Amino acid sequence: MANSVFYIIVQILVMVLLSPLIKGIIGKIKALSQKRQGPPLLQMYYDLYKLMKKDTVVSDTASWIFRITPYLTFTATLTASLFIPVTIYLAPLSFFGDIIMVIYLLALSRFFMTLAGLDTGSTFGGMGSSREMMISSLLEPALLVAVITVGLITGSGSVHGMMQAAAADSITVFQPSYLLTFMAIFIILIGEACRTPVDDPSTHLELTMVHEAMLLEYSGRYLALMELGAAVKELIFITLLANLYIPLEGLIEIASPALALAVSLVFYLLKVLVITVFIGLAEVFTVKLRLFSLPNLGALSFTLAFLGFVQHFMLGR
Amino acid sequence: MEYYLDSLSLLILISSFVLVANKRINSYIRTFRLQSFLLVILAGVIGMENFFSEGSLEIIVIALLILVLKVFYIPRLLQNTVNKVEYKVEKDFFLNIPIGVLICCALVMLVYYSVSSVIPADTGHTRIYLVNSISVVLIGMFFMISRKKAIGQIIGFLVLENGIFTTAMLTANGMPIIIELGMFIDLLTAVMIMGGLVFKINENFESIDINKLRNLRG
Repeated sequence: MANSVFYIIVQILVMVLLSPLIKGIIGKIKALSQKRQGPPLLQMYYDLYKLMKKDTVVSDTASWIFRITPYLTFTATLTASLFIPVTIYLAPLSFFGDIIMVIYLLALSRFFMTLAGLDTGSTFGGMGSSREMMISSLLEPALLVAVITVGLITGSGSVHGMMQAAAADSITVFQPSYLLTFMAIFIILIGEACRTPVDDPSTHLELTMVHEAMLLEYSGRYLALMELGAAVKELIFITLLANLYIPLEGLIEIASPALALAVSLVFYLLKVLVITVFIGLAEVFTVKLRLFSLPNLGALSFTLAFLGFVQHFMLGR
Repeated sequence: MEYYLDSLSLLILISSFVLVANKRINSYIRTFRLQSFLLVILAGVIGMENFFSEGSLEIIVIALLILVLKVFYIPRLLQNTVNKVEYKVEKDFFLNIPIGVLICCALVMLVYYSVSSVIPADTGHTRIYLVNSISVVLIGMFFMISRKKAIGQIIGFLVLENGIFTTAMLTANGMPIIIELGMFIDLLTAVMIMGGLVFKINENFESIDINKLRNLRG
């Protein structure tokens, strides 16, 4: 019991404290590629701190949905993050099929976000909502297939079990079925985190925005919660990739549990850094796709996940 | 070691999926270059293995040849042709891209089915090699028939050839070097002639859209 409470504290601390940094790193990579200084690494922390102190303005026509959505979105995302352990050394909350739970918690938060976008009656909000639903309908099947494939390969129904099975193996990205699902989940990560080929996170241009369009009416504390929720969601996917596909825990033999925990957390930070650099590079080298080109990306990621499934099914590994 | 070859052949397959998902001629050429580079790595790895076990340099020579021809020379040739003909961004495919990608997925299923009827289960890595490389051949063929512009069809032909080469390389450690050389020279002349033809088609029809070739027949 005490162990599990400790796990929850570590998990929430890592998720909430680390996630704003991702945006900073990606921004820095982008700025360096353009020979700019760029915003400081900790910019998002400052932003969140400032937003927390500011007043919130709520439109007169907005209903209760608008007010509860920031809390609901943030809590649902944070709850989802509890099922994706940052380290396998603590006994996490896990049960058979909890990955489905994660996907549906994320879907719940997205559902309320789109409702809030529609709620204020601003034109941009509705546009953003309909786009977000379209993107999610493209990416969600791929995510389900990819995750179920990994479950089949590792023979486990929970994320913690999958991670343990992967850690008992060597680094799994190099194996065929893992490689396919890795690529599928990477594409999904870019879509879910509203990164460049799918959405442009740095503009508020009416023609291109998807995620920002839904948050347009939010201010102050509400906006801070929504932004933090989005960052945590991004970190959830990065954690999934890092701990499923690059498990370095099998490489070291450490007897003392406290030291093992510390080392695995350091490894976790390194892995998150590597994956973040990859996302940043994808952002540097690609341009935003037209909205109607997004089905191509969705079809590609679904196909990769499905091929991974077939490969595993046909070859048994 | 074996896993790396599995994954390399898989990466070649994935690059041909990426090719099918592309829309612009420039990105076709870039993806083809990437695929050829993966092929060079594959041939290099097998060549090294062969060199240390049997002391023959043949496959390494072939890898270097691919590097020169398919990674540098042919993409540049195609790029020059594209630069010379008037470049218009227009719809270049008969089927839309998601359907194209899903059809390619179905092609891979077909290959799985047919390969498992040829080779019984549990023959190790040969099956995965065969599936991946024959799928590349089929996807190249599909790419050829799904694009309207002549350049896309040349790229499809080259991808098909890459698939055949991968099949030979992975299942039989390559063909004798004299055959490989013959194939390369064939390929080179074919691409040069096709490049010239594209240029000619563009001159006569003011587009490289092959649908326009039906105008004023006779």
